Amino acid sequence: MNDMRLTERTVDATDIKISARKVQVFYGTTHAIKDVDVDILDKTVTAFIGPSGCGKSTFLRCINRMNDTIDICRVEGDILLDGEDIYNKKVDPVQLRARVGMVFQKPNPFPKSIYDNVAYGPKIHGLVKNKAELDEVVESALRKAALWNEVKDRLDAPGTGLSGGQQQRLCIARAVATSPEVLLMDEPCSALDPIATAQVEELIDELRENFSVVIVTHSMQQAARVSQRTAFFHLGNLVEFGETGQIFTNPRDPRTESYITGRIG
Amino acid sequence: MSQHIVSSFDRDLEAVQAMVVKMGGLVESQVLDAAQALEDRDEELAEAVRKRDKQVDELEEMINSEAARLIALRAPTASDLRIALTVFKIASNLERVGDYSKNIAKRTQVIVAMPAISGSSGAIRRMAMAVEGMLKDAIDSFIQRDAKLAADVRARDVEIDQMYNALFREFLTYMMEDPRNITPCMHLHFIAKNIERMGDLCTSIAEQVTYLVTGEMPEEPRPKSDSVTPFTPQEG
Repeated sequence: MNDMRLTERTVDATDIKISARKVQVFYGTTHAIKDVDVDILDKTVTAFIGPSGCGKSTFLRCINRMNDTIDICRVEGDILLDGEDIYNKKVDPVQLRARVGMVFQKPNPFPKSIYDNVAYGPKIHGLVKNKAELDEVVESALRKAALWNEVKDRLDAPGTGLSGGQQQRLCIARAVATSPEVLLMDEPCSALDPIATAQVEELIDELRENFSVVIVTHSMQQAARVSQRTAFFHLGNLVEFGETGQIFTNPRDPRTESYITGRIG
Repeated sequence: MSQHIVSSFDRDLEAVQAMVVKMGGLVESQVLDAAQALEDRDEELAEAVRKRDKQVDELEEMINSEAARLIALRAPTASDLRIALTVFKIASNLERVGDYSKNIAKRTQVIVAMPAISGSSGAIRRMAMAVEGMLKDAIDSFIQRDAKLAADVRARDVEIDQMYNALFREFLTYMMEDPRNITPCMHLHFIAKNIERMGDLCTSIAEQVTYLVTGEMPEEPRPKSDSVTPFTPQEG
């Protein structure tokens, strides 16, 4: 009977892609993340929800060491990607970020042509042998990001000349082009209209076949729509982590319930 | 549970729940009045019960459309979602209890013209009062979010089943004694069966309350005493 249940969306994989243990993050003296333990599954969409300043974006940025760029930021604890500690001194953050891609809240295309925006990653990481192969990667990435039909006749035009929603999809195409194993998305749809949002959500579902996707979103409905696992953060703590259907119909923690039902906590 | 940040959400939720409580009260009085009309052989009261069923149906429709609106406009989650889901089901159960009351009133109007079956209407009235008590407690458990009271309602259905079984045997005996008793006894038996079904519907409401409060349907099988026993009265 269980396979007839729509709410418990199947998670094909049970392999753990990212494993975090006792993660602490400090910004100077501010303790932003407290003792977070979480296992993110492969080929699964995991949503992080929580009020502003709860630490969800901070935690997301730990996964590809984006916090390294902030001087006063200090990360403690272990984050393992396929069992390897990503904070090990031997790990090159640039190589790590090719495996763990990221899409930000505001579109930030390079001041280059649409084609070069997408081709940049595959080129610097040496993922393609020749121009024909690169053309293919660019087209496939743009198609995945539901942008190909709109830009195929003006690939040489500057990426910054596109509309906001198109720019965001260009950034998604850019992130997808290097075939990352994990894709981190920090509010990827906050600048998009409902149609473009639906296209990105469809894309996220398709990406799940190959990658592990972690998405931070302020739209609870979006988390409910796209994810199989949901984590609720509050004041730097991971309050609850579970199957998305369970979180949205019968959360275990009263703080989760207050947040998702829109109550004063 | 504290209030929503958007206070109009609270008002919508309260409005739909108030409708359920109102419907519950109306259906309770329908059950009692139907039983009263039967005992007093009061055709007028029976007619009033039949007419009032329309109000019950209208309330159900109102609750359904309010709950549908709530789901469409508010996208409720967690306990709010469970409110929207349970009011649908509770309203549907109440509507059917209302229908059974109406059917009792209809049969009462037929029975009035026939010889009385001694003692039976008192037993039916006691059964109806027991069911009305279950219904009241089921609605109270909904108002107070009281899973314990809901479990108690669920456990009490076995008493209704036992009362029904006793009446079943009694009617059978009457019918065997005198074939002229068959028509009124058949009507009375359907009335008893209607009340027994009302008990099941009250149990279903109580189960919805359990789901509303705990997020899970009660798992353990509910106590039952409605196994159809092959009852063969002795000849002569």
